[in-house]
Amino acid sequence: MPLAATWHRLPRFVRIILTRLGMIVPQMLGVTLVTFLLVRLLPGDPARLILGNFATDDSIKALKQHLGLDQSLPVQMERYLIAVLHGDLGMSPFTSNPVLTDLAQRAPATLELIGYAMILTVIAAVSLAVISVVRPGGIVDVVARIYGLVAGAIPDFWVALLLVFFLFHILGWAPAPFGRIDAMINAPPTITGFLTIDSVIAGDRTAFWSAASRLVLPVLTIAIVNTGALMKMAQTSFRGAYQSEFVNHMRLCGVPERRIIRSALRNALPPIISQTSFITGFLLGAAVLVETIFAWGGLGQYAVQAVVNSDYAAIQGFVLVASAFVLVVYSVADILYELADPRIQV
Amino acid sequence: MHAPLDATPLLELDGLTVGIGGDAAPILNAVTCTLRRNEILGIVGETGAGKSLLTKAVLGLVPEGLRVLGGDVRFDGCSVFDRRNEDLRDLRGGKIGLIGTNAKALLDPVAPVGRQIARVLRAHARVGESEAQSRAIALLREVGITDPERRAKAYPHELSGGMAQRVVIAMALVTDPAVLLADDATLGLDATVQAQVLDMLVQRCRRRGLGVMLVTHDLGIVRNCCDRIAVMREGELIEIENVDAFLRGPRQAYSRSLLEAAKARPTPSIARHTASERPLLQAEKLVKIYGGPFTHQVRALDGVDFSIRPRETLALVGESGSGKTTAGQCVLRLTNPTSGRILFDGEDVTDLSAQKFKPWRRRIQMVFQEPYVALNPRWRVRDLIGESFRLLDPMSRGERERRISALLDAVHLPSSLASAFPHELSAGEQKRIGIARALATDPDLVIFDEPTTALDIRVRAQIIDLIRDLQSRRGMSALFITHDLNSVRSLAHNVAVMLHGRIVEYRSAEDIFATPREAYTRKLLDAELPVEDPPGRATNVSEAIAV
Repeated sequence: MPLAATWHRLPRFVRIILTRLGMIVPQMLGVTLVTFLLVRLLPGDPARLILGNFATDDSIKALKQHLGLDQSLPVQMERYLIAVLHGDLGMSPFTSNPVLTDLAQRAPATLELIGYAMILTVIAAVSLAVISVVRPGGIVDVVARIYGLVAGAIPDFWVALLLVFFLFHILGWAPAPFGRIDAMINAPPTITGFLTIDSVIAGDRTAFWSAASRLVLPVLTIAIVNTGALMKMAQTSFRGAYQSEFVNHMRLCGVPERRIIRSALRNALPPIISQTSFITGFLLGAAVLVETIFAWGGLGQYAVQAVVNSDYAAIQGFVLVASAFVLVVYSVADILYELADPRIQV
Repeated sequence: MHAPLDATPLLELDGLTVGIGGDAAPILNAVTCTLRRNEILGIVGETGAGKSLLTKAVLGLVPEGLRVLGGDVRFDGCSVFDRRNEDLRDLRGGKIGLIGTNAKALLDPVAPVGRQIARVLRAHARVGESEAQSRAIALLREVGITDPERRAKAYPHELSGGMAQRVVIAMALVTDPAVLLADDATLGLDATVQAQVLDMLVQRCRRRGLGVMLVTHDLGIVRNCCDRIAVMREGELIEIENVDAFLRGPRQAYSRSLLEAAKARPTPSIARHTASERPLLQAEKLVKIYGGPFTHQVRALDGVDFSIRPRETLALVGESGSGKTTAGQCVLRLTNPTSGRILFDGEDVTDLSAQKFKPWRRRIQMVFQEPYVALNPRWRVRDLIGESFRLLDPMSRGERERRISALLDAVHLPSSLASAFPHELSAGEQKRIGIARALATDPDLVIFDEPTTALDIRVRAQIIDLIRDLQSRRGMSALFITHDLNSVRSLAHNVAVMLHGRIVEYRSAEDIFATPREAYTRKLLDAELPVEDPPGRATNVSEAIAV
């Protein structure tokens, strides 16, 4: 089989990436199918829901025809798929914007928040884990132990309020918790939607500092709440590697301690990668309380609004975007996981 | 302690004492010895003698909970324990190389082995990554790895045990150390691989004038590689002697018992069979294929025939992957052969259902290789042995107790052990319990899977004596699966040599050891490192190379 032979000649990381990318297409199709059925499974008639209780049968029938609801399910599915492919996720009657526009406005806000929060979480969790294992009984170990104990019991809104109270209200170090950028400052022209990056591209120093300082408190909140779990996992995994025979052998071979720690950490990576991806996916919707407190205008807030308003098009759009995001995060995690562990066969 | 030294010692152990401190007895007690340039010192002792701890203490790294209580280790005249961090790090792996046992566990599983060797070099010398890599590749070639460029990119899980061991040796040699500590460096390797690895080690040491401490529990290795031997017992060095003088007659009684235990015993004679006597077990054209039609197929057994008559012992000999264990599993119906027949006492048992085969199980029993793994850790010895009685007719509680203590007696264990748990027993005792379990049903045939590997010298001899004794008293037949030729000499009447799932030579034990016909059999016999000179063969590796 020449095809198989060519495949096995490819470098391992190319094979890993191609396999994973190949899986994204059917997975995304499955997600779309589920979001489509989601609305079909809701009780009641969408046309009646849209027009309200006082609509006449004729107007409902007309709307049904207009929406294509009189067609068979496969035909509707096909139309839905085509619409999604064209970027048409429907209109939101409450914001009177196309759902896609709404989402495109809010997604970068949440992604920026989650992105920086996760970077901080991973760095803090891994550093705490490594230092506490390498120097057991040291101050970092003690702090990590106490923090690990309470971390599971800290609610995010409480941490957020404490931070706002102390750092903004009492000390005045942090900016006011009102949105992503100071209302008096012009936001940089939208390129990526990430204010920190856009302001750097635009060379706008004031906008950058404003956006960055507004990020501090919410990012800190999310990191404080989520670092504990990741730290415990990283500790277990790193301790296993650090106390293994091969590490001792490296020491007996005179390899410097820094190098040994790096190798042990490299061995401890896989579980850290999977838990990080899990937390990241989870945060997309779970950061809603933090978003609300800091008036962030993110995806989570939008989704909650949509649910409260029974805005089905918006919910559908949110679920679609959220699943696509989670899919991407998990795919990246899978790829990293397989790269981190050469024993996995591809 | 020893004759006047011809050179300043490389390494001096001076009353080295290591322990947990307090009133507890030290684990290493006042160990004093020297190692010179161009010398290979064999350190021999049984499990728990403190051999491995000795190598770690020499490098100034005793395991957590232990500390050096007294004495000194001097390398090139300077104390190891006085050295500070950087200096000590330079000593470890730089001046003194360590080759550990169980190489696969010593290698970083997620780094290519070439890079791991380079890592050690770069920890001690100012060289760039590519320079270090090419030195690693050159060294891999030197330790006998074919295609080292490709192997250097391999990860540990892609290497065989023998290859991983060579990588660990290369790691120890890459910095050109003056002293090499080899801690059971060839444990668990096939005999031919072990011979190659030892040979290479000895050659390199001779060429570069290294001082080598070869820790082992195999006196054959000492005889064939070392200049001097040091015997350890319970943390003390009780005897240091030149190897030749030691083999002529050790001074200490303990050393004598070790040497005696390592020697092969004459094969037990059995009453000659009349030709008409029916074989107890016959295997005919056994074939076992692993893997399906769409995956890679492995022919673990490829047309294997053998037979065992009553009171007779057949040894299946071969290296890992030769199919000898699969053959044993087929006989016991632990796995079903793809084709071929198994006749037991004249009846075809190949295709019997599990239910129908059950009555046969009391007549065919097996002693598993790893006794600790095969014994349920939460059961007491009494229940472990009693479990086999389920195959027999129901018996009263008193009868059961009587039988258990009779079985314990048969394997020379005190009946007080009946209420012990497996973890409270030594490796030799566990092996005996494994044997007692197999004997519980009074079987006609017992399959022994590697009964003597990984055991200490004297324990191994005791197990061999026990099996011989049981066979002569109970008149059972045995199928012996092993790669330990020394034990085959002492136990087997017939030997079948296996290679790649086939039997390449199948004759009586005397004939096969005296006049091996096949090239592979000769290779196996040559790889053996006996304690005594077999007639017509005198190959002392170290002497041969020194000349």
